[in-house]
Amino acid sequence: MDFSAVGAAASEAFTLASFIGIGGGVLLGYIVGVIPGLSRSVAISIAIPLTFYMSPFIAISFLIGLSKGTAAGSAVSAILLNAPGEASSAATALDGYPMAKKGKPKTALQVGLLASVIGDILATIILIFVAIPFARVALLFGPYEMAAILAFALVFIAGLSGGSIFKGLAAGGLGIFLGTVGLDNQTGLPRLTFGYTELMDGMPLIAVAIGTLALSEMFVQSEKLRYDRAGMSVELKNDRSDHITWPLFRSIIPTVLRGTGVGTFVGALPGLGPSVGSFMSYGMTVKASKDPESFGKGNPKGIAASESADNAVIPAALIPLFGLGIPGNVSAALLIGAFAIHGITVGPLLLRDNPELLYSIFAGMILASLIMLALGWFGLMIFAQITKVPPHVVIPIVIFFCLAGMMLQGYGTFGLVILIAFAALGYLMKKYDYSFVTFLVAFIITPMLELNLRQSIILSRGNWEILLNRPIALFFIVCTLVALVALAVRTFKTGKPVANAPAD
Amino acid sequence: MPRSDFWSGLAVAAFGALALLWMIPNYAGSNPFAQMPPELVPSIAAWIMVVCGTIVAIKGAVIMIRNRMGPLTRDLNWPGIGWALWPFAYVGAAIWVMSFVKLTWFGPVLIGGMLLLLGERRWWMILGCSVVPVALLYLLSVYLMRVGVV
Repeated sequence: MDFSAVGAAASEAFTLASFIGIGGGVLLGYIVGVIPGLSRSVAISIAIPLTFYMSPFIAISFLIGLSKGTAAGSAVSAILLNAPGEASSAATALDGYPMAKKGKPKTALQVGLLASVIGDILATIILIFVAIPFARVALLFGPYEMAAILAFALVFIAGLSGGSIFKGLAAGGLGIFLGTVGLDNQTGLPRLTFGYTELMDGMPLIAVAIGTLALSEMFVQSEKLRYDRAGMSVELKNDRSDHITWPLFRSIIPTVLRGTGVGTFVGALPGLGPSVGSFMSYGMTVKASKDPESFGKGNPKGIAASESADNAVIPAALIPLFGLGIPGNVSAALLIGAFAIHGITVGPLLLRDNPELLYSIFAGMILASLIMLALGWFGLMIFAQITKVPPHVVIPIVIFFCLAGMMLQGYGTFGLVILIAFAALGYLMKKYDYSFVTFLVAFIITPMLELNLRQSIILSRGNWEILLNRPIALFFIVCTLVALVALAVRTFKTGKPVANAPAD
Repeated sequence: MPRSDFWSGLAVAAFGALALLWMIPNYAGSNPFAQMPPELVPSIAAWIMVVCGTIVAIKGAVIMIRNRMGPLTRDLNWPGIGWALWPFAYVGAAIWVMSFVKLTWFGPVLIGGMLLLLGERRWWMILGCSVVPVALLYLLSVYLMRVGVV
């Protein structure tokens, strides 16, 4: 490890500007997380335009801080409202809401916060120690290996992050198709632009991300308003006996460590989102417990299991991103877009070309976790008030910021039309259970996939036998085929996906 | 959801077929000397859509036949469809207006109008929610990002 780079990174991370940027991200994430219906990916997609004028380090740390903040904030609404801010906090509500109803809302929130922060910090440390060696190995990979790994990741995500494998692959196919719009790298000629000069640079990523994730989600939410407007909030009172105690904290530590392990494992695999991690951790904790009947009735270990895994997924999902340049979920895919906007290629090359930035981001992530703890601990009463904001107030404001995000990029009316078209597409995908995660990841990695595929074909002169000398590439091609067959058979046999949860 | 699977699968397969038969031949470009022609990746993507869309549609059709369901239903929830569609129409109309009026000026009307349509009647709530986000945008675009009024 380059210690001078680590020292420089630490000094960059602990400046006033970093505190403001990262703290702002965590605070915004917390607020978004508390509001039911606003998810992490919605927040990141809307916030990307805000980062244009930040330095790359602060921009990326701001977005990662935002991501961490949403994960912690979503527990607040899960515990006080029984309406998780995100799907991944649904497991938290199972024990959090009954505990709050029993008169211990503050204790439940503190257990959730501490589990979140510990899970997050431990997973960040694991990320630092795993991603760097991973990236060093990945630097030895050529285009054959990268093309094979990208294809494998896409199939894996298609199979695990949505409805059936066929719907996932269809969404991926559409993402790849739209990802090829723009100037062809080799010929320099426009491809699938239909004569629109605005499409020469490809479909605008901001329009695709905000449309598919944020604007479509607001349309889904406004539709839900017709059927469900009620909300039952638990009040936070100044009860001196309602706080976490040392024996309680000590009793949840093993659960938090288990949750962190599960979350890290799930997060490192492409396609499995925090929802899978939190429910898997919750299930394992119930199974390991001597008193399984107490779960679902206000057991703090249930909250700790879910929250630690939920937060551990976020740093762990960056292992394939920093190690290989492959986004494992929507948030990571959006980070690729944010890196690209700042002119940085994420992946193993980041370690070679810009190690200071990578170390700064790691330092920023630790800082974000500490800010999250401070904000969550001292701002508990304020965040609890945000749960009272009705969704019909949130929807028009978020729609306004979606449109403003496009305007700030200077796309004008054409960009807005593309935005609403993608919002319609995202709405239909959510409605008919086509994986928008696979769509977005496919859209974002298509230029990389095509570049590696092209280099492979040119280097091999179209001779497939060359793969026999590339065992890693061959391994991933075989894995892709096996995964494809296994997931297809499973879809046909059970009619259900392996994990039906959005990997955001 | 066999009925929706059938129709959505059909739509995906039809889009893939349209891409293969019209979009790619006319708009993807070609380079006979390139070892990897520019239409290769879009064609692979289109084939994926055709094959997977067809499988989804066939699977839906088989379940419909087994359950003696027709491909269309008469009991459509028209008020529900209308409620789902109006936000699209509202935002579409807003985009049209925004081609004449800047968002910074039109923003309060956009937010306030939607709040009213969603059932909000407290004037102070409508006023606050309409003005504060737009003031933030103004601050952000003019003073922090220095891109001017958007």
